[in-house]
Amino acid sequence: MKHEILKRNGATIVAFKGEIDLESSPAARKILLRCFDNNSKVVVDLSGVTYIDSSGVASLVEALQAAKKNAGQFSLAAVSEPTRRVLELARLDKVFTLYDSVDKALDNPA
Amino acid sequence: MANIPPGGDRRSPLAFDRRKTAMVSTHLELLSKMSGHLAVTLNLEETIQKALDLIVKFVQAEGGALFLLEEKFATLVCKASAGPVDIRGIRLKSGEGIVGQCVTNNTSRIVKDVRQDPNFDQSVDESTGFQTRSILCTPMTVNKQKVGAIELVNKRTEDGLFSETDLLMLQTLASAAALAINNAHMAEELVEQERVSRELELATEMQRSLLPDTPSDSFPVFGTNLPANEMSGDFYDFFQLDDGYIYFSLGDVSGKGMDAALLMSKTASLFRCLGKTIHEPNVLLATINRELCETAIHGMFVTMVCGLLDTKTGSITIANAGHEPPLIHARDGTFTALPASAPPLGIMSLQAGDNGIRAETFHLEGGTLYIFTDGVTEGSLEDGSRLGQAGFQDIIRERRDLPIAARIEAVVSTLSNTGRKRHDDITLLAVEDARPELRNTIDSVEPVMVARHTFPARAEALHTVREVVNNACEACGCEPEDATDIIIAVGEACQNVVRHAYKDHDTGDATLEIYCKDGILEFRLQDSARPVDREKVKPVWPKELGPGGLGVCLIHDIMDQVDYLPPPKDQGNLLRMVKSIKRKNSNET
Repeated sequence: MKHEILKRNGATIVAFKGEIDLESSPAARKILLRCFDNNSKVVVDLSGVTYIDSSGVASLVEALQAAKKNAGQFSLAAVSEPTRRVLELARLDKVFTLYDSVDKALDNPA
Repeated sequence: MANIPPGGDRRSPLAFDRRKTAMVSTHLELLSKMSGHLAVTLNLEETIQKALDLIVKFVQAEGGALFLLEEKFATLVCKASAGPVDIRGIRLKSGEGIVGQCVTNNTSRIVKDVRQDPNFDQSVDESTGFQTRSILCTPMTVNKQKVGAIELVNKRTEDGLFSETDLLMLQTLASAAALAINNAHMAEELVEQERVSRELELATEMQRSLLPDTPSDSFPVFGTNLPANEMSGDFYDFFQLDDGYIYFSLGDVSGKGMDAALLMSKTASLFRCLGKTIHEPNVLLATINRELCETAIHGMFVTMVCGLLDTKTGSITIANAGHEPPLIHARDGTFTALPASAPPLGIMSLQAGDNGIRAETFHLEGGTLYIFTDGVTEGSLEDGSRLGQAGFQDIIRERRDLPIAARIEAVVSTLSNTGRKRHDDITLLAVEDARPELRNTIDSVEPVMVARHTFPARAEALHTVREVVNNACEACGCEPEDATDIIIAVGEACQNVVRHAYKDHDTGDATLEIYCKDGILEFRLQDSARPVDREKVKPVWPKELGPGGLGVCLIHDIMDQVDYLPPPKDQGNLLRMVKSIKRKNSNET
């Protein structure tokens, strides 16, 4: 798994690439939670994620919970097909706020 | 022991004491004798006659009679009589005569001279010619409930009078007799109950004999009926016709009692009888309907499916009148329901044809047809939830490779071993396409191992495992959507081995084997860790989202079948996951 962090319009954009699995999810979790230290609006770009497992999904859930606790905003953008499938199977596609693209996520409050 | 009658010697006080002692022991002797008699006989008439004879003899009366209350305590009927005239059968109104007074007021009486007593009813003496002089009478009660009375007449002593001692004696004996009568009554009821239950047993036996015998293993039809009570309102039947045809039927009569059972017997007989000559299932149902309507029992009806299997081609022609839709389980794993085309039988006139009972013809193509009553789909599981169509399909799907009898038995045992009282009969019939040439093609396809991969149970190894699964899916011609799902499920299963089975301190290898057979992929994941707690690996959607519980749910959601097999060498865990796949470039769906 690779990642990239950008700041735009006062939001933090985290773009993950590759596989978020048991091996990489602890790192993904740390990255996501750290984002809330200095910004309350976080958009996760999942367009480059080729595989995510339940531990990766758990990291996303934990970030969502952290955002709610801190009155922050957390959304998923450009969700790749494999990721969308897992979210559907986990019945979490309605729990997260999903946007087609990062731009749309930035335009809207999460 | 000498039988010294009371009042026989009244000369000296010493003699009186002797007499008293002797009397007490005679009392006891009589009581034990009576109890002995009363204990061995449970026949009411015999019981009371014996009791009365003993009492009359002992109290030294010329005669006696025992009356029992009948007709809701309105009449006293003489049931036993001792002495020169037999008055058995005479009836007195309750309250009439000295006996009637004793019973009504629940008091005993010593009447020294009946001519002085206004209550004395002379009519009996007049009709028998017997002359009553004195009377001793006491009522009989059991648990404060009036039973009747015992009357003794004319003491056989010089003065011909009954004493207080005689009365005391009679009262003691009467209560023993009352108890015996009560026992005999209960025994009679018991006999009656026994008779009814024996009759029910015979009826049950008779009804079971209407069901067909268990066929041989290779026979393509198998049925079962498990009644909730003795009698069943469900039935199934099948029999062979010429040219390799098998007629089969299953029905459910509305209601549950004996009336339902009798209507079931009638319908089953009609099917067997008319089916020999009417070889079109919808015409057969229409004919049975006509018969049932002609002799309609108010408000009762029958839902019924019947069909004809051509064992040479595997084709089935079926008709359904108001019955829960039978299911076709195709070889590709899909289920198709066959809804009823007509209302239940026994309600209204129905014609065979497009406007009435339709016949449908289809090919089983190696699949199996299941017909069942709502006792199956509405049957309760251990946790109280209903099995439902989905649950039924799961049981069948998991056992698709077993013989039909084993599949049916699995459904029945799931519903009957719940520790719960069943309220409905369970009836199931399976019809399969068991053509030998088909069997050969199925059996000739041995499961082929397409991959075997051993990996260290560590997170870093999971990427390669997923690649192995992906390649295997591709090799088996799996559609990409199925492959994506399978990778998710197998990935989660492997992840669980890494995370849970070996925990942190304990490391080892795991082996994944992938087999392919006939559009079905089977994954066997073996580890050598401590056995997992099966309760914890059941799919329960977690309230608090953690990766572990979620993973198990994903596996169960994606796979058709997930279970633990006994591991080889009794070590570790062997998880099996089965998924039937859509294949590229194939017509099978």
